[in-house]
Amino acid sequence: MALLEVEDLSIGYRTRLGLHRAVEGVSFSLEEGKSLGFVGESGCGKTTVGMSLMGLLPRNGEVLRGRVLFEGRDILSISEEELRLLRWKKISMIFQAAMNALNPVKKVADQISEAILAHSSSVSKAEASRQVEGLFQLVGVPKERMRDYPHQYSGGMKQRAVIAMALACKPRLIIADEPTTALDVIVQAQILEETRLLQEQLGISIIFISHDISIVADVCHDIGIMYAGELVEYGSREEVFDSPAHPYTRALLSSFPTLTGNREMLKPIPGEPPNLVDPPKGCRFRERCQEASHECSLISPAWTELFPRHKVRCIRFERKKGPQ
Amino acid sequence: MEIKRYLTRRIIQILVSFFVILTVLFLLFRLAPGDPVSRMIDPSMSPEDAEHLIAQLGLREPIWRQYLVYVKNFFTGDFGYSFHYGRPVLKVIWEKLPNTLLLFTSSIILSALVGIFLGKIAAWNKGKPLDSWMTIGALVTHTVFLPWLALILIWVFAYKLGWFPITGIISEEIWLDPDAGALAKALDVGHHMVLPMATLFCIHFGSYLLIMRSSMLETLKEDYILTARAKGLRESVIRDRHAAPNAALPVVTSVGLSLAFSINGGALTETVFTWPGIGRELVFAVSQNDYPLAQASFLLIALVVLAANLVVDILYAYLDPRIRY
Amino acid sequence: MKGDKEIRHRPHWFEQFLEGWSVFWQNPLGKIGVTLLGIFALMAFSSFIPPLVNPMYHPMTGVDPEIYSSVGPSARHWLGTDFMGRDIFSQLLAGARIAFMVGVSAAFMSIFLGTAFGMIAGYMGGFVDTLLMRLADVIMVLPTLLVVLILASLFGQLNIWTIVLIIALFRWPGVSRVIRSQALTLKQRPFIEAARVAGASHIRIIFRHIMPNVLPLAFLYMTFRVTAAIIIEAALAFLGFGDPGTVSWGMMLQWVWKTGHMFKALYWLLPPGICISLITLSFYMIGRAMDEVLDPRLRREETAR
Repeated sequence: MALLEVEDLSIGYRTRLGLHRAVEGVSFSLEEGKSLGFVGESGCGKTTVGMSLMGLLPRNGEVLRGRVLFEGRDILSISEEELRLLRWKKISMIFQAAMNALNPVKKVADQISEAILAHSSSVSKAEASRQVEGLFQLVGVPKERMRDYPHQYSGGMKQRAVIAMALACKPRLIIADEPTTALDVIVQAQILEETRLLQEQLGISIIFISHDISIVADVCHDIGIMYAGELVEYGSREEVFDSPAHPYTRALLSSFPTLTGNREMLKPIPGEPPNLVDPPKGCRFRERCQEASHECSLISPAWTELFPRHKVRCIRFERKKGPQ
Repeated sequence: MEIKRYLTRRIIQILVSFFVILTVLFLLFRLAPGDPVSRMIDPSMSPEDAEHLIAQLGLREPIWRQYLVYVKNFFTGDFGYSFHYGRPVLKVIWEKLPNTLLLFTSSIILSALVGIFLGKIAAWNKGKPLDSWMTIGALVTHTVFLPWLALILIWVFAYKLGWFPITGIISEEIWLDPDAGALAKALDVGHHMVLPMATLFCIHFGSYLLIMRSSMLETLKEDYILTARAKGLRESVIRDRHAAPNAALPVVTSVGLSLAFSINGGALTETVFTWPGIGRELVFAVSQNDYPLAQASFLLIALVVLAANLVVDILYAYLDPRIRY
Repeated sequence: MKGDKEIRHRPHWFEQFLEGWSVFWQNPLGKIGVTLLGIFALMAFSSFIPPLVNPMYHPMTGVDPEIYSSVGPSARHWLGTDFMGRDIFSQLLAGARIAFMVGVSAAFMSIFLGTAFGMIAGYMGGFVDTLLMRLADVIMVLPTLLVVLILASLFGQLNIWTIVLIIALFRWPGVSRVIRSQALTLKQRPFIEAARVAGASHIRIIFRHIMPNVLPLAFLYMTFRVTAAIIIEAALAFLGFGDPGTVSWGMMLQWVWKTGHMFKALYWLLPPGICISLITLSFYMIGRAMDEVLDPRLRREETAR
């Protein structure tokens, strides 16, 4: 059985203008030790998916439909206290360090050992501190810096500390939300490389969230492309990155330089995503799609399997395969 | 390293501020209508004593020398003789200083602590009736007219209920009683201090509560709060150990900024409760035309405010590692 | 830059005002504050009526020929009389007038000074900025009430306008700080740059381009300054250093306190104190409500992540 199974997940935010349908019918699964990347523009719902997996939606957020099975348990229906015990122990997060993910008035090491102590009552403070030392070594932060405060760290070091923190309780799943955004390219590459090594060594599953498809393709086994709250393409790294099917995926690929490869002309995708308070009928991407036809505004595209695992939601593929 | 530079800068700023105040007061003293000598010298003094004092204060010297003498006298504590008490001014205010510090610091600290605590609770319960009541309560106690509040407290708790003495700092029967121990005396002062302290407390905690509340609401939106929650920490730990220490920083700043306002209130409170402190001494001196006493009280109060500002700066640096390191 | 556009052209200022007002009026604090203030304004405007009805209702000089001491409320004296038989109700009305006069004029002056110094410091920068801000630092640590006291001891009895002036002189630094930082950010905006390139003088830039943009903020601070001025004047009067030619609420409290009536005459002790506290509260509430109108950040919904 897969470690994580998400079925038909829909999430909305209550706003003044009405219900903002941030995530609509998202399904995917993740095996033990594998990594999955979600890619999309800001506001496409990828972060919302990540947050819902930890039960950390903002106060006005609400799961409208669906199930999230983690180790076979539906974490959307367990109590707040059970959820709290599950967090970090089983699922942890790597936040963007450029965000204020570390508390400025607490020592970095204390913020990590705090997580350890919160989840195992048998561990002493000294033992926790030893574990933190080990984690610092693992992610490559000198242990002399343990007594320092976040503002004394460089950006890259902060990011490493955040990774160490995510590993603190030896979780089975880590959700990494834009972990390298706002770092310079060299540090970014180092950290990605280290993340991948750590993941392979420790056998932790990772969900990687980014707006940059090349980064995700670098790290993840599988890739899911999200647009306006919906998953539009899903498949292995090779399938999605090398033979993208959805017009949006292709547009994304041409709008980012690859980390290593040749820098082509960047083509920004014209237009803006639709308003999710009152989403349009039919395909949500059609207004920005260069290949859209009249039909696209009538029918919501269904999943079409191109290969056993490579799926896409675009009417052009439905047509090719014929009615099922 | 950083902290040393920060504190050095603040100390220099404070010294400059004090020097400006000292100088401006001297200029005003010279500008004011009337004879400086008669303003500084008690008419009932014997001519010899008066001459001696005039020489000591340099009142017949040219103005620039007078200024130097004035500054020198300030640092050596020669403020002249109080008309009313017929004693050196320094002695008079030196006796009152501890009373002011006792009342002032204890009420500021108490109201800051309570304000921070309640503000935290209010923000945590945002939108619930508890929050609304706390906010309204803070607004009302914060804006009530202080001397009137003092009179009402006296009316209710000292006059009607008789729980506390109406005014003063000590009961003579206890302090004249040779058998009374230190504890009895301390308790007596504490008993007298309840109402003045309650007055100052009421006026202050509301504004600290409101600042803490809005600062806490901002802090709760910070990413490190999300991190703390993701770590599976208990809600009370998130509130008390992650949000509150950060949210309290602006309150500390505002305590410093409102010290001048607080000392106004301190003087009013001392006056209504005849609490023998420097604030009351200043009010009294002005009403008695006892300028040497008024001048010294004013300068000492300015010094107290500046020193308290420094204490707040040090506290802030201690609480915020971004300044400490 | 969306903000730029909004600030540069404000053709529909009246519509903006109406929109601001509707947000303001939705705020319970604003509603209560304005209502209370309306009542006090009514009191101030009607303060001239009682002396016209009967000279014995004159707040300062009117004495009831049949009463020589403080007497409780009656049909003749709604709130009773003070120790010389003067009508407390008409004193209360007169006090409202003084409170408005002191509060608004001192606040206006200190806001004027604060805005001017803040704009100059922020726009000019350099030495002028440092000098003005250091001066502000010094003034800020001074307790205004005690400053007025020491000045009273040097210059003798102060009249109400001198008191207002002193309060204004010692209350500008807080405002100037805020205005300065606003001016500093405005200075970087393209339209100021454009004006400078077009050859506008410093004075013109300050008055034509910076001032309209900082004025809303200045008005917000004005409400807080009004409360400060009212409190200081009242406290001064309470301590016995007020203008002896005026009847203010602080003065009334001083009389009830100093003449030893506070334990016997609750009808005399309560009204002035309640009035000072409520007028302060109402300005304070209006300030907080205005804060919310001017700072749309507070109105923002929790945005979707």
